[in-house]
Amino acid sequence: MNEFPGLIPGHITGYDNYFEDFAVGQRFRHARGKTVTDLENVLITNMVMNTADAHFNEDGMKDHPIGQRIVFGGVTASIVIGLASQDSSDNAIAENGFENMKLLTPVVHGDTLYAYTEVRDLSDTGPDSGTVVFHHWGVNQRGEVVFEVDRSVEVRRRPADTAGASAPRERSNA
Amino acid sequence: MQFRTKDFPLWPKASFFEEFEPGQTFDHHWGRTLTESDAVAFNSLTLGYNPLYVNDEYAREIGHPRSPVNPYLAFLTVLGLSVEDTSEKNGGAFLSVEYVSFLEPVYPGDTITAHTTVHQVRESKSRPMNGIVTWHTHGRNQHGTRVLEFSRTNLVQRRSEAR
Repeated sequence: MNEFPGLIPGHITGYDNYFEDFAVGQRFRHARGKTVTDLENVLITNMVMNTADAHFNEDGMKDHPIGQRIVFGGVTASIVIGLASQDSSDNAIAENGFENMKLLTPVVHGDTLYAYTEVRDLSDTGPDSGTVVFHHWGVNQRGEVVFEVDRSVEVRRRPADTAGASAPRERSNA
Repeated sequence: MQFRTKDFPLWPKASFFEEFEPGQTFDHHWGRTLTESDAVAFNSLTLGYNPLYVNDEYAREIGHPRSPVNPYLAFLTVLGLSVEDTSEKNGGAFLSVEYVSFLEPVYPGDTITAHTTVHQVRESKSRPMNGIVTWHTHGRNQHGTRVLEFSRTNLVQRRSEAR
């Protein structure tokens, strides 16, 4: 047996989010939120060399209608997809890409983002994996949709040999 | 005494709406070698804990030589490199990305460059201060292989509205 339990369900990746576990129309509310600060926005914006200083010059934004730095939409997108990632793509073998990404509401430092997902499409694409299209919504602390996307991911099928699999913790509705 | 900023002519950056026309191309400046520290910082700050991107042993089990860079970091880097030539003008909101295709994995140590063609230029009915521009951008690695491509649309400030 392999020393490293990477492919055994429930060890390194999730137990219940293989290709077979998804059905079109399923909806998920992801458990964690993340408050966006300059750590996410300014660091990532500067790291990827996005030179638009509306994202990192507070003084320069004082006459702008928003009146403060605006979070780079790419950072908003990455955080929302990150919040959805454990549940939707822990068993992904590749990200194919995405379509229809819309940035609907400006995000500023101090806003908190939450992620919501609906399974939109499933297709059989190979013996070991299938393609799942997720629609993700990013929602702020006021319940406004700030971001939407249709994201296509290649997700592994449940391995035939599940010896040693570890089921998830009991869930409660509390 | 206040520093006389007006004594210094501005070294201008970025383009106004009027300067874009369909078919124009840009090979953007700088390029960027994506490092392990970029990958770690990005995955940590975005909770991108997919084991494919944070666990080399797991990545090897599914056929990679090591963990690839999170493709969203590669996407943001290509987008970031394109900004000065495309959407840097203040007042131009980032509206949408029509599509992104991740074509090849990017590994720490790969060097990415960004290249853009202006796809569409149009008026904004609701925001007369701005126009709307759609760009098609792709990223290449050091071997010249296309690693990702996307279409992006922004509001862009008009010269006539510049303050």
